[in-house]
Amino acid sequence: MTETRNYTDVQLGDNLPELAIDLTVSLIVAGAVASQDYTPVHHDKKSAQEAGMQDVFMNILTTNGLVSRFVTDWAGIDSRVTNVAIKLGTPNLPGDTMNLSGEVTAKDEESGSVTVAITGKNAWGNHVTGTVDLVLPKGAN
Amino acid sequence: MPTTLKNEAAVVGIGETEYSKNSGRSELALASEACATAIRDAGLTPADIDGLTTFTMDTSDEIEVARTVGIKDLTFFSRTPHGGGAAIGVMHQAVMAVATGSAKAVVVYRALNGRSGARYSEGVSGGPTTSDLIHWSWYMPSGLMTPASWIAMSTQRYMYENDCRPEDLAEVCMAQRDHALKNPRAFFHGQPLTLEQHQGARSIVEPLRLFDCCQETDGGAACVVVGPEMAKELPHPPAMVRAVAQGAGADQESMTSFYRPTIAELPEMQLIARQCWETSGLGPEDIDAAVIYDAFSPNVLLQLESFGFCGKGEGGRFVREGGLRPGGRLPVNTHGGQLSEAYIHGMNGVNEGVRLIRGTSTSQPEKNDHVLVTAGVGVPSSGMILGQAE
Amino acid sequence: MAISGKEREDFEKKLEAYVGIDIGLEDVGRNPVNEAMVRQWCEAMGDELGAYTDAAAAEQSVHQGLVAPPTMLQAWILGGVAMASGEDDPRDKQKELHRLFDAHGFTGVVATNTEQQYLRYLRPGDEVRAKTSIESISEQKATGLGIGYFINTRTVFRVQDDEEVGSLTFRVLKFEAEERPAATDESAAPMAGKPQRIKPALGHDNEWWWQRVEQGELVIQKCSACGALRHPTRPMCGECQSTDWESVPASGRGTIYSFVVIHYPEVPGYTYPLVVAVVDMEEGTRFVSNVVDIEPEEVEIGMSVQASVELVDDEMKLPVFRRV
Repeated sequence: MTETRNYTDVQLGDNLPELAIDLTVSLIVAGAVASQDYTPVHHDKKSAQEAGMQDVFMNILTTNGLVSRFVTDWAGIDSRVTNVAIKLGTPNLPGDTMNLSGEVTAKDEESGSVTVAITGKNAWGNHVTGTVDLVLPKGAN
Repeated sequence: MPTTLKNEAAVVGIGETEYSKNSGRSELALASEACATAIRDAGLTPADIDGLTTFTMDTSDEIEVARTVGIKDLTFFSRTPHGGGAAIGVMHQAVMAVATGSAKAVVVYRALNGRSGARYSEGVSGGPTTSDLIHWSWYMPSGLMTPASWIAMSTQRYMYENDCRPEDLAEVCMAQRDHALKNPRAFFHGQPLTLEQHQGARSIVEPLRLFDCCQETDGGAACVVVGPEMAKELPHPPAMVRAVAQGAGADQESMTSFYRPTIAELPEMQLIARQCWETSGLGPEDIDAAVIYDAFSPNVLLQLESFGFCGKGEGGRFVREGGLRPGGRLPVNTHGGQLSEAYIHGMNGVNEGVRLIRGTSTSQPEKNDHVLVTAGVGVPSSGMILGQAE
Repeated sequence: MAISGKEREDFEKKLEAYVGIDIGLEDVGRNPVNEAMVRQWCEAMGDELGAYTDAAAAEQSVHQGLVAPPTMLQAWILGGVAMASGEDDPRDKQKELHRLFDAHGFTGVVATNTEQQYLRYLRPGDEVRAKTSIESISEQKATGLGIGYFINTRTVFRVQDDEEVGSLTFRVLKFEAEERPAATDESAAPMAGKPQRIKPALGHDNEWWWQRVEQGELVIQKCSACGALRHPTRPMCGECQSTDWESVPASGRGTIYSFVVIHYPEVPGYTYPLVVAVVDMEEGTRFVSNVVDIEPEEVEIGMSVQASVELVDDEMKLPVFRRV
């Protein structure tokens, strides 16, 4: 587990350590089940194929969960996520890898909030792009 | 028979559809509306038309347009290749047809759903194996497959060899935007562009940024070409064709002429310029305004040099001094050009050239004896000079 | 073709009636926020943050006790296994709206954006409820998928005592799926396998050159009559019109004559930003290909480079250049 990160430790332009997520059927199904999303295309290959995809594909809640994990892995336990805004692109399919990268793009002194712009890219292009806002402890007391 | 094409034909009617990002109509519907509007503007009826010509890239066949518009017998029809390089190539066809008596009244048209349909910015890819695809195959594997990437390659070299800065590309965009402010047909009507906006916009293919690239558009444009005698009988003052020419330079490829001694010049445009000046007996100093093909902003700089409006490598300085703006040395793309009005593959530029001669541009310079119109850049290209009736 | 004219006007008028209305149902969580579902979520996501699963660490943190991952918000009210049946609640106005789109040819649906706001983290015991309304419907848009409309819905989440804890804005595109010709080959089937670069089309005049690349060689075509080198390959010598030719190995040494850094569009199979250069080869011809293993901002005109023929994806070899 990482140390927690303070507001004053963070500079505009800081890059987060990249995170590669292996996209397996297990991850896609486990994410769908954990989010209580039993829409068939996320666990049943036949339904996914009827919907024009080659296999089951990741649901949005799992994408959100992975994005949140990626940012709090970096920010640590004393961070509080306040906003996650994402744009969805190419689907996450089994056999591929999603590479998450992030950069600090804004800081708000008053609230102690920072904005991280994130991109999750797979072999077909951007699966997800967006921003996560989170409040960090002021630090350096 | 004429020995040159000087004053052998005139543009007497122009027409266009609305320019939009989503026409909701077929390309045939757009082509037909543009043609019918141009014929009406000329004071003619479809039955008066006996020639049609368009681009090889157009999806609307001449005979389909004829049936749809109500044009009857055709004695002349033809196509011109190489994308935007065809826009004055088709004028060349029409003028030759009229000058030789192959047709009396030719409609030139181009219509495309360039935004809601197939977008050129998405690049070339696989397809049936043709000589064209064999050509692109030298570039697709390395990922060099969009018009922006091909133009960026020559722009990078041009900026390296000459005094041309990113601000100079921005000035081309801003000057044209300045002209577009008063043009209700323009996508950017009433929306000025600042240097900060230009430089802050995302990079498409370095060194080109977003506003250096034209407006992909749905729409159609057309015009009517007739002989000088017939032109006298029609309602609008004719735009006389003083000269019209095509050119493909030595070692030419379509968009990727990377194997010439220098890629920072346009030999095909120099060839067209030479023909235009020879036929018309005019020179750069006689031109009062110009419509210069601008799929991308640097295209304008290289063409200013090809036609001798400034010396080689001086395009950047020419625009930096405000030469393209309203009231500048050479007002350029007074409709806003393809960067700010619409990208109708150069045909909207032909219509603007005619408006400039008529005196009806929304950014009309006072003096309008002669107007240069060019088409295509990096491809086999074309150009013409329009003038007042004598 | 998308509907137009009067039909479109009537349709868009019907759409207006849906803007601003509640979809008519309240979603109530079947369980309060609980550690078991949180643990299952964290295991799926590989999320080891102590605030969610380590009571002692959570106690010491800014959260002062266990909390649920914020992005789990919607999971507390989703339907679970019942969703698999695909049956719609007839009272659901959102489904009704989607059916209206379907009936006018806009049968495609894809989620394009979500935005979640969290007023506070949920804790074990919180009882979550949610109400959804249709916030807006866009004007007709041309999109990469086809002509369509964006629908924004907004869901507000509350817990016991009517306390608002967060919200979710969800944007879907209902579109008219473009008619595509029936897939006759693999390349027409999107999303099949890992994307690869676009391969060259092969004909009489270029196939031999690409075959040599496949064998790991970079060669230049040479006129057998006058000795002139030429690239790209062609069936006749432009200097002496001879159709006899041979090939000579290229040294691969050259200097960058011009280059570009491609950012847009991103084509599947390629990695961006992508550097492509025109290289002056020491033999006097030019080649166009990628410059690799270099930061784009370090590439310069005049830089010395060396070609190497290598695999650029799982299937294709290409001569690529490196700085020397």
